[in-house]
Amino acid sequence: MAHKGTSTFVMQRASAVVLTPLILWFVASVVIHAGDSYADARAWLASPVTKMLFGALITVGAFHMRIGMHEVLADYFHGSLNRIFNTANWVFVVAVVAATWLALFSIGT
Amino acid sequence: MTNVYRPADRPLSPHLQSWGWTVTMASSITHRATGIALYGGTLLLLLWVWSLALGEEAFTFVAGIMGSPFGVVVFAGYAFAIVQHMFGGWKHFQWDLGYGLDYELAKKTAWAIYAASAVITFGLLIAGLNAKGA
Repeated sequence: MAHKGTSTFVMQRASAVVLTPLILWFVASVVIHAGDSYADARAWLASPVTKMLFGALITVGAFHMRIGMHEVLADYFHGSLNRIFNTANWVFVVAVVAATWLALFSIGT
Repeated sequence: MTNVYRPADRPLSPHLQSWGWTVTMASSITHRATGIALYGGTLLLLLWVWSLALGEEAFTFVAGIMGSPFGVVVFAGYAFAIVQHMFGGWKHFQWDLGYGLDYELAKKTAWAIYAASAVITFGLLIAGLNAKGA
């Protein structure tokens, strides 16, 4: 991505800052809910606060990991192969975000 | 302008195998490796959230895998990747602000991140198994 090095650098760190509290919340939640029954786990995820936090975690995470993967691809692949993989990178993260919100909405409250 | 490809004219980066192993180098590689692992690992989160959306049968199936010895190993690896990558990110943040760049300190930081990640992963594993009532 030409001429966007600085903004990419800043965005990667800004998303990392947002991800830290979300990750701490999620890791703690997973441990707390490790033995949940279906009803308990669903009730937990159905709460609007959980939905927003989990959706934010995946969305910001996807944003962050797309940049990270872009950097990895830039190191190992060049030319048309690089373009193909970067397109695949975009498709993957957009699909992950869309599929997550779709699941969250379909769970209802 | 004719472009003649002359690889000998340009300096080559030394191959990975010719580097002496250092902990800062291992830490850098681990950061990238855990990043790639977490990239793929999002699919596991997706699987879990969709199992809840689809119904009890799907959830019981996924929860069964998660609770198996294989699932516990995956959980530990996932937890380690998250914690290691988060600490690695903090380290990069610190470096970006101009602190901790002294080599001796950087080596200690790299070891500390490995140690802290291992201890926290173990703690999360115990806490998770305890909550699960295993």
